[in-house]
Amino acid sequence: MAIFDEELKTLRERVLRLGYMVESAVRDSVKAVVEGNDDLAREVIERDNQINTLEVKIDEECIRLIALRQPMARDLRFITTAMKITVDLERMGDLAVNIAERAIELSKEPLLKPYVNIPKMAEITQKMVRDTIEAFLKGCTKLPYEVINRDDEVDELTVKNFNELLAIMIQNPKIVPLAVKRTYVAKYLERIADHATNIAEMVIYMCKGKIIRHMTIKDEV
Amino acid sequence: MAIFDEELGALKERVLRLGSMVETAIRDSVRSLVERNSDLARKVIERDHQINALDVEIDEECIRLIALRQPKASDLRFITTAMRITTDLERMGDLAENIAERAIELNEEPQLKPYIDIPRMADITQEMVRDSLEALVAGCSKLPYKVIKRDDEVDNLNAQVFNELLFYMIQDPNTVPRALRINYVSKYLESIADHATNIAEMVIYMCQGKIVRHMKISEE
Repeated sequence: MAIFDEELKTLRERVLRLGYMVESAVRDSVKAVVEGNDDLAREVIERDNQINTLEVKIDEECIRLIALRQPMARDLRFITTAMKITVDLERMGDLAVNIAERAIELSKEPLLKPYVNIPKMAEITQKMVRDTIEAFLKGCTKLPYEVINRDDEVDELTVKNFNELLAIMIQNPKIVPLAVKRTYVAKYLERIADHATNIAEMVIYMCKGKIIRHMTIKDEV
Repeated sequence: MAIFDEELGALKERVLRLGSMVETAIRDSVRSLVERNSDLARKVIERDHQINALDVEIDEECIRLIALRQPKASDLRFITTAMRITTDLERMGDLAENIAERAIELNEEPQLKPYIDIPRMADITQEMVRDSLEALVAGCSKLPYKVIKRDDEVDNLNAQVFNELLFYMIQDPNTVPRALRINYVSKYLESIADHATNIAEMVIYMCQGKIVRHMKISEE
């Protein structure tokens, strides 16, 4: 079915674009924190509605494809996975907005200490986002497993970041509000990485489930 | 189609069961903190895989229903919404697990202060979870809007908790590690409320989109 193939291709491109938008949001929100650039932070916040709009569009398109094309087995699982992945991507966008909000608050205060852990975390999470989308679109490879492995690195950096800031806070409790905001930024990144891990798990599940699903359908039909 | 109706009923029941498991996880995790009961906290952590398993089960059932019953319009939209909200429910379960982890850490140290706002936040978020799922299975009502409104209460309590803890920290820096852990618990509850809000928004969207979708399909 040529039209359906074309439609699937468009769907793939849209998911890829959504992933790219989320990646940019993560990158720019952290850049706003590190550079104290509140204009960039506001840009991230404004751009979030584009992410939401595309998410709704993908969702609509998936429902349309299911209703009209009645896809079977592999295609159906691809489409339903796309619908679930966009939930995670949209939540990542929200978390980037949270980072941007903290960036605006932090830009008004003196720099507590140079940012080392957070840019590192941002780099890893962006790569995780990119790789999960690639894993989803390219089908079943080792890539989603790599993403899951990298989640530990992000978790470790979150703890490291927290402990460093904790030491400063104990010395000088007056800086607590400022330092806590920085721990939040790390926490948001950690959760973005968790969402990427979720997607990776869904891709693995899609790959495994494909076979199971196929069998079930054949059995029942 | 009688079988399909029954299957849809069973799906609704499962979603409600997942919701009540998440509610229990929230309640017990906060209780384990307030009552300093680390055994209960460990139970919450152990039980989390049941939430994950049911999440996968619901997913499978949704795909099966779509593939075999080829539901139209409003049923299809209900099923895909069910599939999507389990992501939020599963995350809430993870956050309850995080609360339980902090509870275990906090229970090892002397209690910093009586917990007042946190149990209140837990009550509200549990109700938000219940109402958002009720809104999903009971069809389109004002309920999801109520859930979204309550989110502000949780945000306000979260800010209040932080300000109070800040007072302790500035008075005595030794309290910082404990105070920050309590603050994290409050933050997790705030995130849970955000997820309930997400569900409520999806339900509203399902109700509005149903009409749009229906038109488009009948057009084609």
